[in-house]
Amino acid sequence: MWDQIGQAFSFSMTRMLGQLASLLPGIVALIAALLISTLVAWVFAATLRRSLTSIDFNRRVAQWGFSTLAQWSPSKSPTLLVTRAIAWTVILVGFLIGISAFDITLTSRLVIRLFAYLPNVIAAALVLVVGSIIARFLARSVLIGAVNINLQYARLLSVGVKWLVTVLAVAMALEHLAIGGGIIRLAFGILFGGIVLALALAVGLGSKDLVSRSLDREAGKIPSQNVQEPVGHL
Amino acid sequence: MDLDSISQPELEQIERLGGADLIVGIFDPEYAEEACTSVATVRESLAALSKIARAVVICNNGNHSRALIAPEFTGENQSLAVISCSLPLPGPAATPQHSMSAAYRSVFAVGGKLGVRACGVIASQPRGLTSQWIYRLVQPVLELGFDLVAPRYTRHKMEGLLNRSVLSPLHRALYGEQLQNPAGPDFGLSGKLLQRVLRQDSGPQRGNQIDLMASIASTAACGAYQVCEAHLGARTQPPTDWMNLSSLLAEVLGPTFLEMEHQAAFWQSVRGSRPVPRFGLPEAGSEDSGTGTVDVQRMIESFQLGTQNLQDVWDRVLPPTILLELRKLSRAPADQFRLPDDLWVRIIYDFAVGYRHRTISRDHLLRSITPIYLGSIASYALEMKTAGVGEIESRIEGQSRAYEANKSYLVSRWRWPDRFSP
Repeated sequence: MWDQIGQAFSFSMTRMLGQLASLLPGIVALIAALLISTLVAWVFAATLRRSLTSIDFNRRVAQWGFSTLAQWSPSKSPTLLVTRAIAWTVILVGFLIGISAFDITLTSRLVIRLFAYLPNVIAAALVLVVGSIIARFLARSVLIGAVNINLQYARLLSVGVKWLVTVLAVAMALEHLAIGGGIIRLAFGILFGGIVLALALAVGLGSKDLVSRSLDREAGKIPSQNVQEPVGHL
Repeated sequence: MDLDSISQPELEQIERLGGADLIVGIFDPEYAEEACTSVATVRESLAALSKIARAVVICNNGNHSRALIAPEFTGENQSLAVISCSLPLPGPAATPQHSMSAAYRSVFAVGGKLGVRACGVIASQPRGLTSQWIYRLVQPVLELGFDLVAPRYTRHKMEGLLNRSVLSPLHRALYGEQLQNPAGPDFGLSGKLLQRVLRQDSGPQRGNQIDLMASIASTAACGAYQVCEAHLGARTQPPTDWMNLSSLLAEVLGPTFLEMEHQAAFWQSVRGSRPVPRFGLPEAGSEDSGTGTVDVQRMIESFQLGTQNLQDVWDRVLPPTILLELRKLSRAPADQFRLPDDLWVRIIYDFAVGYRHRTISRDHLLRSITPIYLGSIASYALEMKTAGVGEIESRIEGQSRAYEANKSYLVSRWRWPDRFSP
């Protein structure tokens, strides 16, 4: 019986060591991939940091209207944020390459799925960035336009438009990431509809006097002050 | 340059003519009368000129379908011919400034093709057009050798405010010539200057983005052409559309700032300014008069609303000291509301620098100046409430001098926008 136990133990040891030995090239490959990707990430990040510093990226980001980005960044530097994000992406890609070196179906499938998901992540990030730019542009357009026609609630209108576009962009990004599904659609519908209703009420109540003055003028009840003013610009 | 807007039969007629001495453009899309009226007015004005053999009249009343007016020859002088052709009406989407600029291009293109010696353009409400207007615009060119005749209008004290507060003093400070209306819109040009404007407009960097009206006076100043002014009398202006004031400002200031960018190498070396010769006499008793009241309170409210809401936009363009001054001004009581000349001038210069560096969208930048402009009008109206002609003149002169005095500020901001931020 002891012989049989010894044989079984020896057999399991051999099998375990055999499996460990078969994993060893994969582990070495993973370490090598991590080392190489870290080196590439470091070189890449250093080059990028130098380029961004030379074009004064931190100041430009603030100029482009992304001043809040600095608050989220390490050491309040968007340059550092971008370079670190790029470096970690390179390291992650290296890690995934290393993982795929293990000839195991599960890890290979995981890597394939992760790589297949990557375009969605990139598209979602792009949607968020473009959405943010459009939101800022439209918010500013509405703010300037509303102030120029003397609307007291100009800022409210501008903030409403900004959130409207931002919510739309976030919903689109989540749709790309396939997160939430029906809940996101439902929440988006409620939120979007709520913002539109709030804006409509704000504009409707706020411009009540404006509309009545305009109608009175159209009906000839009161003369327009503007027409009476003897002002010419050119 | 654009010859496509001239109809084919009219183009053939121009080609048959071979050459001409004078071209006159008369622009007003709402001008419903026959082209013959313009031709008759031109003929009347030419009768007083001695050196004219052939003249071409171009109207933008869009009457291509009408029968062409064949070249007509006067009885006394068989070589005097006047032909007329028309430009298409501007599309519904075209702004007045754009359609006028396109009409300028067409007239200049025909003038260049015919090798004219002089060109007269009447673009301000030609319903009150008299032969004197055309005569005064082209006579200094044809008989006295001037290259540019800029208009000088008789105006009410609350008219021409953008010209008084920005265009005229800015042109004076930048290019060293004292013109009442550097952007016309009525002009008399020599063939030499016309060719120069044509060459410049078709240059590789400029293309169709340039507004010809904004570039004529500056081109003349930069090319050392002979410039003078002619008194044309009063011009009729459409009532102010307050709801679209920001569009007007963007359309007028945009090309002016763009021209500043193109001519930067020249104006940075200009010091001081000089008056230009003037011809004709101003209409007696009507200049800068007027007793009408202006709703100053509404303008001040617009300024205050802008100060409350547009800080985020203005702080991209204006230095902190100016923003502080504006905030202080927004808290001033209405009767003490005064925008100092130096502050106004620096704001204009800062917006010009911001336009150049595209710190924000150019359209946003130009439109965001509207509340400050309304503040400046309110300040001017309050100051000049009971002022006479002399006081108004000295007020305008003071502002023009402020533009000249602050030019070093502009040059510093232009050259070192980051390093020089007071």
